[in-house]
Amino acid sequence: MPEHFFLKEIEGITGVAVSECYQCFRCTNGCPAARDMDIVPHEMIGCIISGERGRVLSSASLWACLQCAACSIRCPNGIDIARVFAALRRLSVESGMAADMDIHDFDSLMVDSIARHGRMYELGTVIRYRLSRGEYLKEYHAGIGMVRKRRIGLFPHNAADRKGIRSIIKKTVKNGR
Amino acid sequence: MITLSYYPGCSLGSSTDFYDRSLKKVLAFYGVELKELDDWSCCGALAALTVNEDLSIALSARNIALAEASGLHLVAPCSACYARTKAAALKIAEDNDTRRMVDNALSPLSCRGNIEVKNIIEVFLEYVGLERIADSVSHDLVSIRAVSYYGCLLTRIMGICPSDDIEDPTGMDTILMALGATVVPWQYKTECCGASSTITNGDVTAKLSGRLIKEAVRAGAQAIVTTCPLCQLNLDLMRYLGKDIPSVPVFFLPEIFELALFGKTSGGARHIVNTKNIEQGIAPFREA
Repeated sequence: MPEHFFLKEIEGITGVAVSECYQCFRCTNGCPAARDMDIVPHEMIGCIISGERGRVLSSASLWACLQCAACSIRCPNGIDIARVFAALRRLSVESGMAADMDIHDFDSLMVDSIARHGRMYELGTVIRYRLSRGEYLKEYHAGIGMVRKRRIGLFPHNAADRKGIRSIIKKTVKNGR
Repeated sequence: MITLSYYPGCSLGSSTDFYDRSLKKVLAFYGVELKELDDWSCCGALAALTVNEDLSIALSARNIALAEASGLHLVAPCSACYARTKAAALKIAEDNDTRRMVDNALSPLSCRGNIEVKNIIEVFLEYVGLERIADSVSHDLVSIRAVSYYGCLLTRIMGICPSDDIEDPTGMDTILMALGATVVPWQYKTECCGASSTITNGDVTAKLSGRLIKEAVRAGAQAIVTTCPLCQLNLDLMRYLGKDIPSVPVFFLPEIFELALFGKTSGGARHIVNTKNIEQGIAPFREA
């Protein structure tokens, strides 16, 4: 892919002027997840500009990002870097290049919980996620502590118009981006 | 009497219902009534946003449509609910394509994005006011040395001018001072707690939330005060997930109001880190 295509693709999807980056590193300096990243935020923007599509979409950094938006708020050029990372996550899953599917799978289970109940069913979602990972006993002591203090909803609390909510999810997931 | 529309969100609707009760009790004391949105739904938090942006906006739009019908300003105590709802309302109001997408997804409901969304710090400052807060205090909180922790989402909403400073918010600090607590300055007011990494990668939350607690202690605090249910839970869970992390109780802001007004919290027993050490030192002011 010629390099400017990838830049145009990302700018088109996000509406963010990625090309205005002048590599000041402020995003990386304030990033709480930078230590867990193979490509740190300012480098990620640089890689988009230089058209390194495969390297970007297969990067573990996309999944280390916490979406806290410290980078976006601090960028002197107003580049919403967290928004770019969110878009890159979607692209990396769509293109089959995602370095890590844990977060995407957990997020999908959360959306599925909304489709079923209209509201987040915390315990059900966490159990489904743990089972999907074979992590039957992971952090069980924290789980027991939470149950004892009633800090996790044991039962779903359903919204009444679940049909309407399901329809919103169906329509936007099919047509949206 | 002031009436506001109220979006509790999933956390306050179940696992953090003691925060919901505390908030309602305290606001009722000041004559502010919360009218819960009829049949509200989940905003999708950051999960929906990273799966599909239209989905995130449309889920928030459903609650915005319900709130618009009430004609009242909307209160969202949870930072994720607040940030997502506020961002969606702005996008719907400003962008015709988004509005068409939303109306199609919500039909027969319709949404104009024409609504004021408030967090609880804004509600206390705008609808109660610091003077009334200070005048209403009946218990001495000077023994509570606390840091205020705003978390990452509260002031960081792109495209929106926040009511507080983005990097160094002070709204909660001034409220705590009005309540008579000893507010300890620190540098970590808006640092991230790790959010939902607690499930997918617990080490990340242990590192980030653990550091927050250590830094609070280093600053000289014995308690942390926040408004976000996920921040509170992550910090509270450090007793289990952290290593060598001191036990520091993490209060919701309305719980500090309860201490100042009534001398005890109603939901203290629901905290993972015991709040008794702090609560037992609270006594009413003696009549002069």
